[in-house]
Amino acid sequence: MPAPKTSARRPPAPPLHPRRRNRWLVAGAPIGVVIIAVSVLVGVKLGTGSGPKSGTRAETAAAAVVQAVTGVPAGVLDAVGVGTSTQLPAAIAGPALTADGKPRVLYVGAEYCPFCAAQRWPMIVALSRFGTWQGLGQTTSAGAPEVYPDTATLTFHGATYRSELLSFTGVETESNQVVDGRYAPLDTLSAADAAVLRAHDPSGGIPFVDLGGRRATTGASYSPAVLAGKTHAQIAAALADPASAIARGVNGAANVISAALCELTGGQPAAVCTSAGVRAGAAALADSAHAG
Amino acid sequence: MPAELARRGLAPFAVALFGLAVSGYLTVEHYAAAPALLACPESAVVNCAKVTTSSWSQIGPLPVAVLGLGYFLVMTALTAPPAWRLPRLNTVRIAGAAAGVLMALYLIWVELFRVEAICLWCTAVHAAAVALLSSVLWTSSSSR
Repeated sequence: MPAPKTSARRPPAPPLHPRRRNRWLVAGAPIGVVIIAVSVLVGVKLGTGSGPKSGTRAETAAAAVVQAVTGVPAGVLDAVGVGTSTQLPAAIAGPALTADGKPRVLYVGAEYCPFCAAQRWPMIVALSRFGTWQGLGQTTSAGAPEVYPDTATLTFHGATYRSELLSFTGVETESNQVVDGRYAPLDTLSAADAAVLRAHDPSGGIPFVDLGGRRATTGASYSPAVLAGKTHAQIAAALADPASAIARGVNGAANVISAALCELTGGQPAAVCTSAGVRAGAAALADSAHAG
Repeated sequence: MPAELARRGLAPFAVALFGLAVSGYLTVEHYAAAPALLACPESAVVNCAKVTTSSWSQIGPLPVAVLGLGYFLVMTALTAPPAWRLPRLNTVRIAGAAAGVLMALYLIWVELFRVEAICLWCTAVHAAAVALLSSVLWTSSSSR
């Protein structure tokens, strides 16, 4: 009788005892949950790019840039008029802002902020007509995902302003350098200036500019888009060309700010306050008051 | 059977000891005068010193490394072989191990989204926390 045919293959492994299978499930569950959670975190991280990104660390501004921005030819400013300036400083009620017996200009911003980056250019152009700057630094606003990333600008941190007619306080509350996921603190706003900010800018939006307690503005006076992709040198050079979008934005806003400053100085210096550009700025301020 | 359970409890005990050792190393590094003591590669993504010296490396007055050391000290005691002879500690062991995993997830979030750097030594501790929960659950389910 022939031997029964046997298979060379091994018999299939017996199924795991239900209790043993349960133990594997219980022990493996936390590992699975953690893998899923970490995958989600990494996915979100990769999907959103990341948190705030540092801009270029501030350094002493190039002499050519400072010279160009503090010495925009009067003829260019006159030719631009109000340009593409849109955000005009509005009249405010309250005590006059003064220091050393002079009307005081208060700027509150931050180095990472792209709108502050845009606003510093016309402020420096305008204030240069009433006094002199020292120690201006150059930097950029924060990188993407911040809007208008890496906008080239100057910084008021460490800068000093001297004028017979005006006083200036520039406060950059935060730098453009990310430390532990946040922009590093920079200048401290005094209690008195914090009160001014709360009174006229309750939402705390920046940049905030108070012109002697007479007028104030929040935000950029023109679109930062005109500065996109430009270097400090390119922006500085464009200020001398009245047809350029940069000059129409920066110089136009500078004329409006100058007109507001002339209200504080009683029309001094006369050469500035009676110039065609500043008169155009004054007319725009008057129009906005009527419109309001 | 208690003896069998104690034998199986060696796995969570070993994991807890590993976590204790790495946490101890991070604690020593935290208080060391020379931060170079922390042996860790440095790149755009991996940067142990950036993580362990960030403002997020403290919770209140306590360094996270010290919290980790304390946590693994307690978990080592709870998972030591004699402790497995006390089944009433099971709930405490599981809760403690689960808390460690939740803390690890929080710290991973901090690394990814706040400090923007990964600390390899911290990752080893996070892995130990997950392995601890897994092994504690395995061992505890054996006792039922």
